[in-house]
Formats: sequence, C-alpha cells, structure tokens
Amino acid sequence: MPKCTLNGKEIEVAEGTTIIEAYKKLEEDIAHYCWHPGLSVAGVCRLCMVKVEGNPRLQIACNTVVQDGMVISNQDDEVKEAVRWGLDFHLINHPLDCPVCDQAGECGLQDQYMKFGKYDPEMAERKVKKSKVVDLGKRVVLDSERCILCSRCVRFTEEVSKTNELGIFNRGDHSEIGTYSGKPLDNNYSLNTVDICPVGALTSRDFRFKQRVWFLNKKQSVCTGCSTGCNIDVYFNKEGVWRFKPAFNAEVNGHWMCDKGRDYYANLNPYETHVEGERKDKKVKRIPVRLLNGMKGSEMINSQDLAIEVGQRLKELGGEKVALVITGQQTSEELEAVTEFFAKDLNSKNVFYWVNNKENFDEFDGILKRGDENPNTKGALKTLEKFGLNQTWSQLTDGIEKGHIEMVLVLGPENQQVYPDFKTRVEELSKAKTLVWTTACLNESLDKSNVWQIPANTFVEKEGTFINHAGLEQKISFITDLVHNAFDGVELARLMRGDDLPEEERFKNSPYKRVNNEFTSIRGDL
Amino acid sequence: MSLVKQPSSTSSWYLPGIFKGMLLTFFGKMLKNLFNKKDMITLNYPEEKYQYSPRFKGNHVLTVNKEGDIRCTACMLCATACPADCISIIASEDEDPTVEKYPISYEIDILRCVFCGMCEEACPVDAVRMGPEWQTPGVNGSQFVYDKEHLAYRPQLNGGKGIQSLCEDTERHNFGI
Amino acid sequence: MPESKLLTEHYHKDEYRGLQGYKANGGYQVIEKAFKMDPQKIIEEVLNSGLRGRGGAGFPTGRKWSFLPDNGEPRYLLCNADEGEPCTFKDRMMMERAPHQLIEGMVISAFAIKSHKSYIYVRGEYTESVEILREAIKEAYDAGYLGKNILGSGFDHDMDVYAGAGAYICGEETGMISSLEGKKGQPKLKPPFPAVKGYLGKPTIVNNVETLAAVVPIIKDGADAYKKFGTEKSTGTKLFSVSGDVQKPGNYEVPLGMPLRELIELAGGMKPSRTLKAVIPGGTSAPVLNKEEAEKATMDYECLAEMGSMLGSGAVTIIDDTRCMVDMLHVITHFYHHESCGQCTPCREGTGWLNKIVNSIVEGRGRLQDIDTLCKVADHMKGKTICALSDAAALPVLSFVPKFRSEFEFYIREGRSKVKGTRYAEMHA
Repeated sequence: MPKCTLNGKEIEVAEGTTIIEAYKKLEEDIAHYCWHPGLSVAGVCRLCMVKVEGNPRLQIACNTVVQDGMVISNQDDEVKEAVRWGLDFHLINHPLDCPVCDQAGECGLQDQYMKFGKYDPEMAERKVKKSKVVDLGKRVVLDSERCILCSRCVRFTEEVSKTNELGIFNRGDHSEIGTYSGKPLDNNYSLNTVDICPVGALTSRDFRFKQRVWFLNKKQSVCTGCSTGCNIDVYFNKEGVWRFKPAFNAEVNGHWMCDKGRDYYANLNPYETHVEGERKDKKVKRIPVRLLNGMKGSEMINSQDLAIEVGQRLKELGGEKVALVITGQQTSEELEAVTEFFAKDLNSKNVFYWVNNKENFDEFDGILKRGDENPNTKGALKTLEKFGLNQTWSQLTDGIEKGHIEMVLVLGPENQQVYPDFKTRVEELSKAKTLVWTTACLNESLDKSNVWQIPANTFVEKEGTFINHAGLEQKISFITDLVHNAFDGVELARLMRGDDLPEEERFKNSPYKRVNNEFTSIRGDL
Repeated sequence: MSLVKQPSSTSSWYLPGIFKGMLLTFFGKMLKNLFNKKDMITLNYPEEKYQYSPRFKGNHVLTVNKEGDIRCTACMLCATACPADCISIIASEDEDPTVEKYPISYEIDILRCVFCGMCEEACPVDAVRMGPEWQTPGVNGSQFVYDKEHLAYRPQLNGGKGIQSLCEDTERHNFGI
Repeated sequence: MPESKLLTEHYHKDEYRGLQGYKANGGYQVIEKAFKMDPQKIIEEVLNSGLRGRGGAGFPTGRKWSFLPDNGEPRYLLCNADEGEPCTFKDRMMMERAPHQLIEGMVISAFAIKSHKSYIYVRGEYTESVEILREAIKEAYDAGYLGKNILGSGFDHDMDVYAGAGAYICGEETGMISSLEGKKGQPKLKPPFPAVKGYLGKPTIVNNVETLAAVVPIIKDGADAYKKFGTEKSTGTKLFSVSGDVQKPGNYEVPLGMPLRELIELAGGMKPSRTLKAVIPGGTSAPVLNKEEAEKATMDYECLAEMGSMLGSGAVTIIDDTRCMVDMLHVITHFYHHESCGQCTPCREGTGWLNKIVNSIVEGRGRLQDIDTLCKVADHMKGKTICALSDAAALPVLSFVPKFRSEFEFYIREGRSKVKGTRYAEMHA
C-alpha cells in the first residue's frame, strides 16, 4: 500500500492506483477530459497535469502510478499555467455557441473553464470548420466542431460495447469522430457515448432540444427495464420525466445502462407532445397517455372510491370466488401488501403469478441487458413463497371458465410493451364477471364494460424494493408526482381493506402539497 | 432618497385645505387649460395616445432576420432569466444544418409578465425585445397567452412583416461563434 | 578534417548493393564472428562503444537493449527506416547503396537481443528502397543469412519489409509500432515503454537504420576501435545530410565532434558571394543556430545541447543571407500542422494555431502582438504531449522568433520580407 502526499494531504492507496484516482479518492479538484473511470487511459487531453517532486517534467495524473513517498501537487503555478493553456488549446477551435448547445449546463468545458480557465483568450485566427448535425446512428447525433477528440466514445465502443463502430478519422486539427461507411452506431449501449461525451459533440436524438438541463432535477432510482436493475438518475421537472441516465453502482451496472432501459421514460409522462406541420406552421399538440382517473367500465369515477368499492366487493364474494394476479413489475412491498390482503383477510389461495417471457429469462447480452424484463421477478417469487402459494395459471383459467372465480384483481404490469401476451391475457381474464386492473397506462384492450381500471403509480411515484436477478435488494424512492390520483399497491391494499387513510396520506401526492420551488433548484444560476 | 414631510399643525385644518385645492383647480388648471389648450396635460384617450419613450418596456416582440424568419434560436435563456416564469418555449431541430434549433412554440403569458426586461437582457441574439405597446385588451384568458405568430408578426409590427434585427449572423458563423 | 568512412567506405561501388559485391568487399564476415560470441557480450560491446541512437533522440543503444525484460516472451526488432524528418536523406542512401550492411547489422543485433523476427519499417515514399531491400532480403534468405539455423549457429531469424503510408508521426517509435500493428499511426502512451510492451504487446526494440548498421563495425573491430572516432561522450562516426545553400550538398560521414565550419567546407563551402546566416543542425525540429553559434559549434550531442539545439537526425541545413526566416518558419509550421496526428490537444490545436499565426504574418494580416503569442503558444506546447512532435513544432518557433525577431517585425510592419523585399503573394505567384 503506497503512501503519497497530494497537495499536502497524506493518502494511502492500493497498489497500482494512478494519481488521478488518488485525487478522486481525496475529492480534490483535478481537471481532466479523456480520463473516465470506466475506460482505459488515453492520456490525450493533457489536462490532468501534476507536479511530482523530483521530476523536472509535469506528469499526467491519469497514466502515472502512485509510488511510495511521492509528493504530488497540482496547486503549483507551473501546473496551473499548464492547465490554463491546456484548456485554451481545447477551446481555440471550439465554437462559442453555448446558448444553443444542448450540453450547456452539464458541459465539461464550461465547468472546467470556470474552475481552471485562462479567461483571456489570445486566439485571433479563424476556427476550423467541421461537419455539424451528423447522424451517427438512429439515437446519436454528432457535432464535430464541438468535439474535443477526447476519444472517450471511441474507447467505449472498443472496450465496453465491443462493437467498434466509432473511430477518429483524418489527423491533426481536422480529426473527426465518425463511423465506418455502412456501419452506423446502433448498438444497444450507444447512448452511453452521449453520457460520457464531456462536451456537446454527441447528443441524444431523443433528448436533444427537449429541455435545457438546468430546468431539470435529478434523483436516483432503479431501472425497471430488466432484472439487472441498473441504477439510474431520473431527470424530471414539473412537466414530467425527460430522460434516464445511468448512476454509478459498481455492484450492478458500473457506469453504464442500455438504450432500451432509457426509452422507458416516455411511458411515465401523463402527456405526450406531438408536433404537426411544416417548418413555419408547426403546432404542438399534447396527447394524454396515462390513466388520470378510475374507470368503472366506461364510467369515470374517483380512483380512491373505486378502490374502496373493489375492496367491499371482494369481501362480499369471499375467498374462493376472487383471484389475484401479480407480476414481477411491482415492488416487493406492494406485492406483499396485496397478497397479504388476499391470503389473510379474504382467506383466498387464488393468487396467480403471470410470467411474460419465461423462455428468454436466462438470456444475457454479456454486458447488462437480461432476457427477464421484469425488475422484481425474484420479489414476486419470494412473496408467493412467503404465503405458501403455488397456484398454476390453468387453475385460474379453469376457475373463470367454470364460473368459480367471479372477480379477478390484476396488479397490471407497468411496462406493457414487454408483455407480448397482454391482449390474450386480458381476453382470458375478462371472461370473469368483473376484472379489476391496476394500470399506469391506457390500453385499448382494457376498454370493456366489465373491466374496472384503477390508475396505478409508476416506479418514479412510489417507494419500495426491487430484487434483481442476483438477489440484490435495491430501494427505490419517490421521485416526482405525475398523476396525483393514482396510487400504489400498498395504498390499494389499505383502501380495499377499508382502513381509514388519514387525510394527508390519502392526498399524499396532491398538487397542493407540493414543496415551494421544488422544480426551480437549478434555475437562476446563469 | 425620499424625504418624509412632517405635517404641520395647520395641515389638519379642513377648510383652508379645501380652499387651497379649489384655487389650484380653478386658477392653476382650468383657466390655463381654457386659454392654452396646447399645454394641456390630459389626453383624449383612446382617440389620442401618448408617445412613450422608445425604451419603454411594453409587450414583447420577436425580431425577424432578413428572410423574415424568427431570429430566436430557442436557447431558452429568456425563459431561464424570467422571474415570473411566463415564457415557455418548445424547441425543434431545424432543417438548415447551419441553424441549430428554432422554436416551434414560443409563448408568453403576458398576464404573468412583470415587464422587467430580463428576457431582452438575456437574449444572446437580439431575438426578443420589449416593444412599445401596452394597451392590449382581450376578452378571455387565452388571448393573453401570446404565441409566436402574435409576438413576431402582429399588425402593429411593420404591418405584420415583423421587426428586423440589425445583428448580422454570417460573419459570426464564419468565425465559428 | 577529412571524412572517415566507417560505414560508407564502399558505397561508391555499384556492386556493393548485391550480395556478391557486398561479400567481395568484406561483408557478412562479422556475422560469423558475432555468432561465436555470447549475446550478452555483444550487448556489452555495443554499450562500451558508446553508440547512441542515430535517429534523433541519441539514446545509448546498448542501454536500450538492456531494458528488455527476461520473461521468455517473443521479442521483436524493428528497424526505423521511416525517415520523415525534413532535410534528412541518409537512411535512404544506406538502404539503397548497402542493403546487406543493414541486414547484417540487424541479424547481429537480433542475435544479441534474442529476437527471431524483425521488420524494417520503410517510409512510404521510399518505393525504391523497399524494392532494393526486398531483393536483398531474398538474396540473404537464399544464402542462408536469414531463415532457420543461420550459418549453422542454431539461431533462427526472419525479416520483413513494411512500407509505411507516408506519415511523419510513424517515425516515432510507438507511432511506428501502432502503424505496424495495422492501427492508425499514433504514438502510444509511455509507460509502458516499447522495450517492455511494444509491437503486439511484446518487448520490442526500435533502432534507426544507421544505428543498426553501425553495429557491424563495432563488432568487427571491437568497441575500443569504434571509440577512437568522435569525442569522449559522442563516439563514432555519423552521417550528416548536408543540404541548403552549400556548393556540394550530400551525405558526409564524419567523426562526431567535427566543427560545423569544417563540415560546411567539406560540403563545398558557401555559394559564391553569399554569407552564412543560420544553420539548422539536426532536421527541422532542431532549434536553429545563428551565425555566431554556428561558427563555434562542433557536431556532437553535447556541444549542440549546450547551445540549446540538438544533433537530431543529422540533417544539417545551411541557410545563407538570401533566405527569409519568416518564410522558412512558415514552411516548418505548415509541415508540423500537416503532420500532427491529432491525438494530444496541445499539439493538435497548437500546431494549427502556430501555422495560422505565421500564415497571417506572411499574408500581411499580422499584428505585432502575434510574435509574442507565437512564443507563448510554442512554450506551452513544449513537453506537454505523448510524443515529441509538439516539441519538434515548438522548438523551431522558439528559436526562429527570438533569434530573427527583426525579420518578423519587419514583415508585420511592412507586409513584405525584409530579405527579399517582396510580398508573400508575389513570391509564390
């Protein structure tokens, strides 16, 4: 374990640690672009300069391994001057169009220039012009002029996705990132290149121009796209959720997440924006995609009243005539609460587990994405085991067919796209007298006279636990309220049981309860 | 600095005050207005309108470029600077590769607006200005949410052609700014 | 002082190119002597001879060889024949006049470092050299000097020629390794050094053509005989490619430590009625020497380093009083701008910036503060990158501008050259 002194502070690090890692460990400021903890060392931005005592030349911290007794500093005037000029070299051909650049607000150049910049640019020559708005693939757009050639994206495709789509073409200050002809960047991890791009060179086609980042708040959650359970940052404002980005978790996903998981954010928003028309007379139209109220058949009804009514009906019918269907899409707490209501209060054994794609469950792409597209399969199985329930699906269909089961409550899957058998299951179950379906999204197949729809919270609106494929329990927390009269399974169980929810809990998500200025945290910094 | 005048003991007397006021009304104003109509301060609004200073901060104007298109680049700095949160912009990709983006929707809720002029101040491309108008009645709430068309091409602005900004972009683009 | 032709003794003979002619003039005899020696002994001999890399950096060859790790991994010997340094043309002559001398030197070196595979990385533009080398290697294979069990010694060695694609940066050893691996020719981060992790991740030694050829006389006569040439620290002979404003430009093999004045005399002296103005002693990346320095300089590593310049590849460019230094710097900055690989930011952006400033000056758009900007930019490029290209681009600027500042100022004030009196546009019309 070598010991070294960083800016006058002693630190002991593991063998083979580079200086920049030691700086990160100490949480000291050090400028850098090309170094990324999840990628190999390129050493090309030449910004992480440090002075090592006894060495006449400045060293780059990313490629120098800490040795015992090293005295390292980046507070030297020599180092500061080198970093200042290093930043200026980055900027001489970088366009000054921050106002229209989509990265502004989370841009490495902006941040680091504020911290380490020279502030008196001496470049008076013309900038090099390069291509703009280049389609690298269906998700990623490149602006070559803004690129600082840190090669992070190239190394990502080489080392992480191992697809090698990107390369640096030409040389000198005409170098550009690009794809090989006929081989666009369209792997399932392509948007990670956008995340690691320190400038606005790579932007996501989907998120591009939708929001300025300083209008967004972020909170950490867990991706529900598959059983890996990647940790994510959810970016949201009062209009809804705008994007997901991976959050670092060494045990689960490292620094990355897949594009498919990112796409899911759009399903959460109560409204979808549609644009119509040509350049000048384009119009913006909003379409609701989320269920905003309870539906008792075709009758619109307050969701909480509907839940209470469902509870009463279930109790009237009693244990044998009712059934519950659960999926791996709810949190463990929800599953437990509702199952407990059925098993204990109603004394019913009719709890069924709906599996969507059993045959792909063991698929794994070698990076993150798994075939089991439910976040909580393990949790559902655990719940069933806890209450000793092991009914098969055929028992349910038989029961409905023969009329034993009159009322079915389905904790509907939040992500309906990964349930290819959604329609057939609805057909199957709607043969029962009453089918109650808790759902977060509208679905045409549910529009039937005997189907009651209860609006359910999505994972950003509730708290709970997901158990991933490896059995790791991950907590998700309340992020934002999107549909304020929807509720989660725990609340549903309490309402059905007839517990009197205190006023403030019944309207937990009410807009009147919003915290002052909750969406204006980053605004006004400019 | 504001000086607060201490009331004198006689100011609480009622009648002298009324007479003082009457004198001002009759001799100071009425007679003056009767014989010298030119210097009369009041106007016959709405037939006559007062000429405001060109720097008056009235209703917003979106300027246009030489081609008559809206100059706004949808950078949303005005919306960021707005203390009343009255500007909402939806940006979209432009077909022209030299133009990064443009607003498909630019709305100002004029009833929320406090006419502080921060949007004008924040705009990096002289696309939004505070105009001279302020007499803008409407009959329902939605008429006070001004859309792009109204902000740039309302008849008061060069007869619907819009106000052209003097900023020249070509040179800026050549230098990569 | 006359030339001392240690390597180039028989270069004037046409038959020396072929195997028969080479053997007739004493070739391929040292190889037999070497095989009887212990490999470690050869390394020691080279170390004792004080032979330093002739490619530019001047690193002691024996020391470089001794860095190889003893881990049983295959080792590679690469011959750097990517002679990209402007004004250098010695390697070309060596490959074209005496290919077998290089092959012999390489086999001996490979035997010393126990390498069984070597490549000669030839500059892309040297198509003729590639053909001659390929022909010579074929001859050597046929005669049993290459291949399996060379001369019955039990030592196997294969050799190949690889033609580069003409990038200057591939003359840098790690850039060359990248190029040879089939990647974009870009220098690699050091450490690890090529001697530890080079070609295909294996220990690799990269040496210049002249260095490898010089191994032959060292082993032939021993280190002490070699050390008789040159100075105490800069031993042996060196080929100088003398070019520019001299009467007889060409390659001259002289012992190190020869005064620069004598070298100029050897090359025929200055052209009539011209006087010496400046000398670039080691390729364009070496800082320029003005007249006073040039008259005092001796051609060895130490003296030139003391003067703030370097011996480099041995390309001596003589500049006389008819040359405009602004114009020359323009050519040099253009070259480095064009050849920067674009990997490290200071070099990628800095070379372009320098070129743009000098461009502005010669096109009459210059401002006086540009002179200081030039120096500042160059100063901050120096020593900040993976390889030495940014130093190579910065050093000429840092020597041209202070030493000939008046010419730059004149150019900016008047918009025309001080020496030639014409505008750039007129000169290049």
